[in-house]
Amino acid sequence: MSDKMHIKLTVNGEDKEFLAEPRDLLIYALREKLNITGPHVGCDTSHCGACTVTLNGKSVKSCTMFVAQANGAEITTIEGIGSPDALHVLQESFKEHHGLQCGFCTPGMITRATKLLEENPTPTEEEVRFGMAGNICRCTGYQNIVKSILAAASEINSAKEAAE
Amino acid sequence: MYSFEVERPTSVADAAAALGKDEAQALGGGQTLIPTLKQRLASPSVLVSLAGIADIKGVSVDGGTVTIGGGTTHGVVAAEAGAYPALAALAGNIGDPAVRNRGTIGGSLANNDPSACYPSAALASGATIVTNSREIAADDYFQGLFETALEEGEIVISVKFPIPEAASYQKFEQPASRFALVGVYVAKFADGVRVAVTGASEGGVYRWSEAEAALSGNFSADALDGLTVSGDDMISDLHGSGDYRAHLVKVMTKRAVAAAS
Amino acid sequence: MSVTKPLPHDSAKLHVTGTARYVDDIPVPADCLHLAFGLSDIACGSIQSINLDAVRAAPGVTSVWLAGDLPTDCDCSPSVHDEPLLSDGQIHYLGQPVFLVAATSHTAARHAARLGQIEYSPEPALLTIEDAYLAGSQFGDAPRIWERGTAAPAIYAAAHVIEGVLDMGGQEHFYLESQAAMVMPQDGGDMLVHSSTQHPSEIQHKVAHALDIPMHAVQVETRRMGGGFGGKESQGNALAISCAVVAAATGRPAKMRYDRDDDFTITGKRHDFQIRYRVGTDESGRIEGAEFLQLARCGWAQDLSFPVADRAMLHTDNAYFLPNVRIESHRLKTNTQSATAFRGFGGPQGMLGIERVMDHIAHTLGQDPLAVRRVNFYDTPETQSGRTSTPYGQEVDDFVLDELVTKLADQCDYSIRREAAAQWNETNPVLKRGIALTPVKFGISFTLTHLNQAGALVHVYQDGSIQLNHGGTEMGQGLFQKVAQVAASRFGVPIETIKITATDTGKVPNTSATAASSGSDLNGMAVKAACDTIRDRMATHLGKNVQFEGGSVVVDGSAIPFAEAAKRCYESRISLSATGFYKTPKLEWNPETGQGRPFFYFAYGAACSEVVIDTLTGENRILRTDIIHDAGASLNPVLDIGQVEGGFVQGAGWLTTEELIWDDKGRLRTHAPSTYKIPACSDRPDIFNVSLWDGQNTEDTIYRSKAVGEPPFMLGIAVLMALSDAVGACGDIYADLNAPATPERILKAVQKVRDGI
Repeated sequence: MSDKMHIKLTVNGEDKEFLAEPRDLLIYALREKLNITGPHVGCDTSHCGACTVTLNGKSVKSCTMFVAQANGAEITTIEGIGSPDALHVLQESFKEHHGLQCGFCTPGMITRATKLLEENPTPTEEEVRFGMAGNICRCTGYQNIVKSILAAASEINSAKEAAE
Repeated sequence: MYSFEVERPTSVADAAAALGKDEAQALGGGQTLIPTLKQRLASPSVLVSLAGIADIKGVSVDGGTVTIGGGTTHGVVAAEAGAYPALAALAGNIGDPAVRNRGTIGGSLANNDPSACYPSAALASGATIVTNSREIAADDYFQGLFETALEEGEIVISVKFPIPEAASYQKFEQPASRFALVGVYVAKFADGVRVAVTGASEGGVYRWSEAEAALSGNFSADALDGLTVSGDDMISDLHGSGDYRAHLVKVMTKRAVAAAS
Repeated sequence: MSVTKPLPHDSAKLHVTGTARYVDDIPVPADCLHLAFGLSDIACGSIQSINLDAVRAAPGVTSVWLAGDLPTDCDCSPSVHDEPLLSDGQIHYLGQPVFLVAATSHTAARHAARLGQIEYSPEPALLTIEDAYLAGSQFGDAPRIWERGTAAPAIYAAAHVIEGVLDMGGQEHFYLESQAAMVMPQDGGDMLVHSSTQHPSEIQHKVAHALDIPMHAVQVETRRMGGGFGGKESQGNALAISCAVVAAATGRPAKMRYDRDDDFTITGKRHDFQIRYRVGTDESGRIEGAEFLQLARCGWAQDLSFPVADRAMLHTDNAYFLPNVRIESHRLKTNTQSATAFRGFGGPQGMLGIERVMDHIAHTLGQDPLAVRRVNFYDTPETQSGRTSTPYGQEVDDFVLDELVTKLADQCDYSIRREAAAQWNETNPVLKRGIALTPVKFGISFTLTHLNQAGALVHVYQDGSIQLNHGGTEMGQGLFQKVAQVAASRFGVPIETIKITATDTGKVPNTSATAASSGSDLNGMAVKAACDTIRDRMATHLGKNVQFEGGSVVVDGSAIPFAEAAKRCYESRISLSATGFYKTPKLEWNPETGQGRPFFYFAYGAACSEVVIDTLTGENRILRTDIIHDAGASLNPVLDIGQVEGGFVQGAGWLTTEELIWDDKGRLRTHAPSTYKIPACSDRPDIFNVSLWDGQNTEDTIYRSKAVGEPPFMLGIAVLMALSDAVGACGDIYADLNAPATPERILKAVQKVRDGI
């Protein structure tokens, strides 16, 4: 067993410090050391996307990253997106447009979608589907997930136009 | 997975020194290595993360060559290698968005997975792999399944791609992993056509020389009509038989020729 | 009124904020142990020696159990007690649990579990349907055979005889949340179990049995699952039992979660089938006699295979009247995972058989498959044609498919598009299009009659807030919300007044699994009964002409808030709590003879799918799917449409990309999402139109709604039939397309049809 590493992260705007083994995966560090249980473990092989977080501004699968690689990074999880009293547009949209059923994939979906819309604020349906390729849902058949994201994009864009 | 130490050098020199240790392994984005370690198919004692080395990141264009730092992610290549559209498109279709934010070209080429996309781009483009100790031509670099010309501890610093007149990469995806069941990269240069096939052969990425000869004379899909591809020596696994792959090689090559621009 | 409103999922806000808790998210006490199984490495044989020294010595390990260390056999079976938790020395499949490790962390347990040194004496394994059929390896004494009329002579006398063989693969559930359980020991040996399960009462029962304590000493709580699909009907038993055994032995809480790999390797999947058919038809394609041989691969243990195989037999007819039919069903025993419940539960498999028959008849007679299907439809009772009873003797008196299919065909321009596809195919040598419209008639009720019961517990607190509990479980299907809408409607209050609570064996006893699509039917009615009991007590006390509406109680024309009414009743010592109970009427069925009325009613739907295939590679895409689905008078249209969309996509996945592959040693090679392809965001029809049929249940179900969990899954059959149509465009002989229709399989079919290869 190797020595523990001293890890410093900023998670959802808060500084966190803890000891971890180099081989600890980021998802387990978040869930078990920091009690951040929004990102879920769905597959462990980097395909399902339930573990998706934003790291230094980019979507990553936290099950395929050592916490050692994330040392010093700024991380946003679903808990850092909106708040229960003031939902993010995407969160409101997923709720209203029924973009979820069992909800297990939802934190990863929404976390990824926030980045997708930053990368491409006016995506076509095709672009949404391509951009969400790394997030699997077994319940919905994706129809309402895509609808939710497009609706959110539309709302964000109208708000921008109204502000201008 | 087995336990290990992690080092995070910020210079190539420090990385090379760290890799000189016993059972040290380079870590790029980890998109291949981490799943491998999880399955305990490898057990390095030290992982040397290359992600902190700024010198090996970035895309630059100079005349007819695109140079990509070994530590550049697929997402960045897709966004910035527009001078070589087929290459940018290949990078933009590896895995999925989150994977593209981590996986690097250096990692992909150093690993030389027989189903990975980049090896076919490098081989078809006649690229040069620049390491911390020498330059290796693509034709000499790929040496079989997961085998390359790299020595222990040698790091891919950058890859130089000559920009062809026209090129295209056509990937028939293994639908679950999105790796290439068969991927064909066709590049047309002034002095001839190169065709590199990934995903298909038990020997890893290879050049289909009969196709190259036919296309160098006549760059059109029907130039390939008379050619056959044998299913022997093709990978036969859960995802497809050797014969199916052989069949797809020809189909995807034709598509690449038709799509080359 | 709350019912029929398209309210969002009850936990929507929790899900979008990541605050909804699944079993693995529940905070664990510091001394909690984490468990993992050591699995067998061979498919069949016996254990020669076991050395677990390295396991015991591994970091973090506190204890290890073999079968001999368990308090009882710790049986995990939901049926015939043939599944000991740990191997008793015999190995029945590759991946069978042999030992149990408890450690201080999940990763420590998993590492240690790999360190067992086990020597086996392998024996020849029976892995495939062919192996088992030839060896006569099956559950039960003989195949189950049902007959109506005389099939063989009818076929003999028919104008056309069509026969063939259809292979269809199994399917992995791939619930995003893998199996999980946690047990907290309580005073005096009692156990509190948190389980990701569709069947808390079964978990309670099996844990109690394992520890040899009464059921009253075990409490099971389930707030939600991250997906179930049938995979959590029985497969959760092993985890809960393991945790309970460890908790009892150590006095510490214990938790177990299967990693995805282990989940694939250990748990059962959908039964794969081979169906051989022989039918005789008249010139119009109307079936006069039919024989089916249904071979179901059940795996090593019986689990739910009998009712699954029965349901396949019960759906051999789908939407069609079969005057003379013989169905022979073999429940084959193999050295593979014990196949289990999965959405449709044998119905999809049986149905696929007859849909293939229709397709094959149409090809043989050169007709539009839809016309052949229609000519075989059940008639409605008014026609008095005598073509209204199923092979098992149940009258079909609610058949709406004639009008539903007409409506769908019109709406989606079926005939025009079929013609257009044919013209496209004439002029396009490489890409071929295909289109198919297929119906679904699915029987609703558990075929084991005594399971058709449900209970509820409702409390109205003195402040007017209402707590709701019932035996149904929430796995994403929206059951909790639909039932809450029923409760809100009964009391005439807004939905916010109702508090939904976790399913809890301490609140409602002896509940059935949330399965058979019956959750809303059974629990909705039980909740209705409980609410009405309380409401009637309140009404009797408050006066005459009492109405509950809009959050108020109107007594003789004057309204008081519901909360005020509750307070007054409490102060007058009126009981504001009640249980409710419901059992489905009219059911009676004999599985041996296959006669009776197993179903309360049928749910219907139809889908039209158009696909395009690339004849050079076998690649394919769904261009368009239109669906009309019958959910009766829907309790919540958005939740129901969600079930239809999700069910269709999952059904299409079963028949196209989801391929399970075992090697010749019996090792499951497709055990991760990197090798087993479930539909992803881009895998859906380019155009996807779904609507609900406007109609009511003819039976007196909860607000005349219909079950909607499983029936939409079988709408995916339209995709396989459309692919068969597209392949058929390549030549003259029949496509004979098996499932899953992967690109390689489609290419081979094209080559056979086009080139006679």
